[in-house]
Amino acid sequence: MKKILGILGLLIFVCSLTAIINPNFLGATNLFNTLRWTSLFGIISIGVAFVIITGGIDLSVGSTIGLVGTTLAYLLTVRHVSTPLAILIVLGLSLLIGLFHGLLITKVKLQPFIVTLCGLLLYRGAARFISNDQSLGFGSAFAGLRELAIGKVPIIGSVTLPLPLLIMTGIGIIAAVFLHRTIYGRYLLAIGRNETAVRFSGIRTDRIVILAYVVCSLLAGFGGILFALDVNSVQPSGLGEAYELYAIAGAVLGGCSLRGGEGSITGVIIGAAVLRVLYNAINILGIPTMLEYSIIGFVLLAGAIADEVVKRYAAKRKAARELLADDSVRSDEASA
Amino acid sequence: MKHTLTLFAAVILALPSCNKSDNSAGKPAGGLKIAYVTNGIDPFWNNAAAGVRAAEKQFGVSCEVLMPPKGIVDQKRMVETLLAQGIQGIAISPIDAKNQIDLINDAASHTNVVTHDSDAPDSKRLCFIGMDNYKAGRAAGKLVKEAVPNGGQVMLFVGRLEQLNVQQRRQGVIDELLDRPVQSPASMNFDAAGKPLTGGKFTVLDTRTDNFDYSRAKSNAEDAVNSNPDMVCMVGLFAYNIPACKEALKEAGKLGKIQMVSFDEQDSTLAGIEEGQVFGTISQQPYKYGFESVRVLTALAKGDKSVIPAGGFIEVPIVEIRKGNVQKFREDLKKLQSAGQ
Repeated sequence: MKKILGILGLLIFVCSLTAIINPNFLGATNLFNTLRWTSLFGIISIGVAFVIITGGIDLSVGSTIGLVGTTLAYLLTVRHVSTPLAILIVLGLSLLIGLFHGLLITKVKLQPFIVTLCGLLLYRGAARFISNDQSLGFGSAFAGLRELAIGKVPIIGSVTLPLPLLIMTGIGIIAAVFLHRTIYGRYLLAIGRNETAVRFSGIRTDRIVILAYVVCSLLAGFGGILFALDVNSVQPSGLGEAYELYAIAGAVLGGCSLRGGEGSITGVIIGAAVLRVLYNAINILGIPTMLEYSIIGFVLLAGAIADEVVKRYAAKRKAARELLADDSVRSDEASA
Repeated sequence: MKHTLTLFAAVILALPSCNKSDNSAGKPAGGLKIAYVTNGIDPFWNNAAAGVRAAEKQFGVSCEVLMPPKGIVDQKRMVETLLAQGIQGIAISPIDAKNQIDLINDAASHTNVVTHDSDAPDSKRLCFIGMDNYKAGRAAGKLVKEAVPNGGQVMLFVGRLEQLNVQQRRQGVIDELLDRPVQSPASMNFDAAGKPLTGGKFTVLDTRTDNFDYSRAKSNAEDAVNSNPDMVCMVGLFAYNIPACKEALKEAGKLGKIQMVSFDEQDSTLAGIEEGQVFGTISQQPYKYGFESVRVLTALAKGDKSVIPAGGFIEVPIVEIRKGNVQKFREDLKKLQSAGQ
């Protein structure tokens, strides 16, 4: 909980500041849209968090999104495959991608960085090859399927929530229960701390690591479906490009250590939200788009510094308190 | 290990050639080889490529169509490779005209170079094939005035602002909306993006860029709708911008309440015009860019310099598409596309 306080503070700060300067930020449509984008990026961030917790990395998330989105559009609009079958095929494809990464990393003992970097190149190329580099659009023929990404779920009266938010919440709850309430989640966290020690405890670490990569690619693939349906048009060379960085940034901002062994799902979702709110704030406040990367970089850096300073201050106070307690114990002993 | 490496190398080398095979299928072997380099990957360029294919058949040459996926770096790499291959003519759409002069001049010292779509007037290119972007911008501005005769706030959307053609196009829209006099192309004054401009009945709020990320294009449009309740019209300077705006307006339930004016002829835009959601679009006839480029380069390679007009500008006229002529335009486009494949 303490770990996510910093990022939660940053989220509240950015939201409040934007809302004060331009109250349109709190408009129903704007909140709806920001929640929708947060959910899409949250889903892929949860996936990456699994891999990061094991001490690994997945750089192929963006390309997996691109390949899955392109393949889906290709199957539906060019090959006219039935919708359930097409979804099944692309989810199967992303599962295989994760399995492929996991096996190369655990059995062939390749470094996750190189495996997934090659994946990044491989899948992007494959997406462009399948589609012959042409943009593919869903047109108006898949309105029903598109509800998955743009659907509105009525809550109370006229208040609606984006369907992806409910999907992400579902995925988040399952992921959080898995991570914090099951023995496999413990293994996952333990592997990130010290894989050798876990293996020597008689646990089949390879299986757990493979599982992490499968979850990551599967969620990236699912995200790919949603991203493609959301925009209704797929550009094979561009869909999902650099999204692995957003996913990784979301996960790390949310308290996952790149050294492994740490992380919480709530934090990851808040991390993803901070990034989306920042993008939204820049548009809402009418800041020139040229500056957006700089502003995002600056705010995140400032947040990270503030977080670190607060942590150190807390650690110092804790140490001082313990010292004081020690002293009082000692003086008690002396007087006794 | 050595064998594996050789095999790997062979596969790597073979991959691009299988990709290319459909481009050069059925072309005369040993004939004239020219290239058509775009500024990115976009449906717009597929229409241009259809023109290239048709011209290939008519003039009996082979023309490679190259679309750089990653902007200026890829474009440079592609041109260098073409020169190394001894290509006999290049048509290029420069991404950054001012700073690519060296590249274009270097290419021009080896072969015939023309620019298409976007010009590099200070380079040694032989001519420019395209539309007058400033004029096209003003035409789009006129469409906005027709769509919202009472004026109001307008937002512009574009992929990137570095290209000269985009800057001129944008300036054309702005000057027309703000009732400014027509500027001369030689000494054009460009307004900076990032702050609202007011004049006449209109306010141009800003120009939002998305770096060709369709998701960004859509979220930019959503944010514009939300943060500017008084906005009356959205103008998309690139082909995919209005389709993205259309999605955003549809989800916000504001289709028909906020007008849209587009460039180019994406199917979603044309469908929008037919259904009355998009007011109109300015077509650049990219098919003709491709066709004319091949025609001019073929003649030049054969030593015929008469194809280059005085002033070095081959103008491809724009076509204004509104509800009245959209159906015919859509049918003609489909025919051209299928003939070019």
